[in-house]
Amino acid sequence: MDSSDINSDRPLGRDDLSGTDAPDAPVPAQRGPSPAEAGASDSGATDTGASEAPEEERYWKAGRLEQMPIRALPDAPPSVHLLGPTVFLVALGVGMGESYMWPRLVLLFGPEIRWLFLVGVSLQAVVMLEMSRYAMATGESIFFGAARVFKPLMWFFFVTAMLVYIWPGHLSAGASAFERVSGIPWQATAVTGMLLVGVIFTMAKVIYNLLENVLSICIGLLVVGTSVVAGMVGNLADLSSTITGMFAFGYFPQEALSAAWFPVIVGSIAFAGPSGMQQMWYTLHLRDKGAGMGTHIPRIRGLAHAGEQETMPTRGFMFDTSKPEEMAKWKGWRRWVTFDAFVLFWGITMLVTISFTVLAQASARFDPGVVDVIRDGERDAALDAMAASFTAAGSPIFGTVFFLFISLIGLNATFGLFDSFSRGQADMTYFFVPGARRFSMSKLYAFFLWGVILFGIGVLLWGPADGPSGILDTLAFLSTFAMGAYCVTLLLVNNLMLPKPIRPGILTNAIIAFAAVFYLGMLFYSLFAFGVVVS
Amino acid sequence: MSTHTTAAPQMPLALQYAEVAIPGIGVGLIAGAFAAGVAAMAGLPAVQIATIATGLGIPLALLGAGYCVLLALGKFGVGAVGPVAFYWLVGFPLARLTDQYLVATVLGHDEILREPLLSFLAFQAMLSMGFAIGFLWLHERIAPHLLIRIKDHNPVAAHLVERYISQATALEERRVNAKEERAAKRGRRRGSS
Repeated sequence: MDSSDINSDRPLGRDDLSGTDAPDAPVPAQRGPSPAEAGASDSGATDTGASEAPEEERYWKAGRLEQMPIRALPDAPPSVHLLGPTVFLVALGVGMGESYMWPRLVLLFGPEIRWLFLVGVSLQAVVMLEMSRYAMATGESIFFGAARVFKPLMWFFFVTAMLVYIWPGHLSAGASAFERVSGIPWQATAVTGMLLVGVIFTMAKVIYNLLENVLSICIGLLVVGTSVVAGMVGNLADLSSTITGMFAFGYFPQEALSAAWFPVIVGSIAFAGPSGMQQMWYTLHLRDKGAGMGTHIPRIRGLAHAGEQETMPTRGFMFDTSKPEEMAKWKGWRRWVTFDAFVLFWGITMLVTISFTVLAQASARFDPGVVDVIRDGERDAALDAMAASFTAAGSPIFGTVFFLFISLIGLNATFGLFDSFSRGQADMTYFFVPGARRFSMSKLYAFFLWGVILFGIGVLLWGPADGPSGILDTLAFLSTFAMGAYCVTLLLVNNLMLPKPIRPGILTNAIIAFAAVFYLGMLFYSLFAFGVVVS
Repeated sequence: MSTHTTAAPQMPLALQYAEVAIPGIGVGLIAGAFAAGVAAMAGLPAVQIATIATGLGIPLALLGAGYCVLLALGKFGVGAVGPVAFYWLVGFPLARLTDQYLVATVLGHDEILREPLLSFLAFQAMLSMGFAIGFLWLHERIAPHLLIRIKDHNPVAAHLVERYISQATALEERRVNAKEERAAKRGRRRGSS
């Protein structure tokens, strides 16, 4: 695919909804925006086409979809920062994988099995960096990037999201844990939680700001709280073995290669950090944060403020990669997101999981019977057993605190998943479903948000929360398959749709290719060798 | 954003620092009383709840307040991770030791620690990194809002708000300078080649 630059005689403003036809006069190299153009980038469509029209609008051609006008890249914020869109990935990523699946594997196979967790989370940190590359360079989501490569690829992710994330099963763990603490039936908590999320997101002026605040507080509490409780029930030996186990590269006990356990390990690796499509949604959060060229794209508003929603441009923007000062800004943005990926995402995920593994090891020490319950694989029974062992060891508070953490994780996931799902589906619908642009982005967002909430309530009350039993295997397969698929998508999008100076290097490409082989290879090995998809 | 002093009589200096310390006290109490609050929900005896609240909650709240005061005095940089990590490397194990001692004394347990003192302290010190990051994360989320609200009647808070602003400005200047230096270096390289 040729990613050459194009000039056009028809300027496209950022809010121009009509411009889907590609200008067709190619020029050999990309050039920088004129001063008038740079100014226009900050003030929107009305300026670009006003009395002083830009002399010449420049475009970046990426695939066969509408070309991206060249605009100025904003200055990058300081690379060392505490708060940002990573909070979404941490909130979504620190879930059942970290609090239950990996502690469970540690109890069964020993702390040495955690090297696979280290590999899984490190791969996810690199994936996160690569997801951000396209989103920050263009202000477009990775879904849009996938459509630029091959539209059916994007529709695959659209359908996968609908199939996998519409089921409210992910709410059950957190709500069940809250039931243990409060006695309130979990269905009531889950329904109330969903309605609360719907109302809050509907009333929010800018959804991103609200969500970043809520999730930051939740994650802060989780990090502080798990450290305190791990400090109360664990000991030095637990912590030492947890940390040293992460470096036992190559350790793989014979039992782990069985039909019973290999699919569990594959599922756990897929659940190390953000699983399924969560990394793809991160590109939408980056855009709303205003990271890189995302600054040229309006933010999504709650339905109550839909009237104030600015019109979305019909495509993203590109900056002038031939200008050294623009490339210097780009490097600043890369430093900013690298800090996000390796210090905040990787570091905080590690801290929380280390604390949870210490908790699990402590529970097994207090009550060796926990290991047997955990081996049986019934999640609620295992969580019960872990909580009960803390209660027996110290006082009932430890068990209750443990359940509260699981509830907090469930709350994070509910907020994060509902927002992300709605954001992703609204994005793809707005840009690629004919006629959808009659509605503003905030209305489409609200449509998917309330759709998934009402469907979820219906299923919780009358249907199977995880999805019909007949398709559970398919859903589990799709969720892991999507991870391998987005690695392939990343390779295609970043190497074919971006200008050469900002494409990934060989090492990065090799790591992403390895991730694709890693996820897809293990998934298919599990399927063909044992006849079981991930579990 | 500018700060100004009002004509009204100023509050005593100690109170000014106490007001600035509220976010740290709050985060410390939340962390320390996390277990105590749940103890109440779990129906534990009042003595046990009070012991947990006092043993862990108060030391963590005091240390949280200490952080805010040191921050206001300029001993810590705004939002700096390293000094906070070091602060809690010492503070968190001490708070946990106080907690263990108090719980054992009040409840009449013979054994204060389940493992040797050094192992206990080392373990708590290692966990303190997580606590420090969580503490800083929550503090930076809460403190600026409070400081802006109280800066008109609290000069210590006003000074701290100015530091937050000047730090942001300095970071911006540093970045611009670095950019100019890079551009100059490139220019020199081009000139010499």
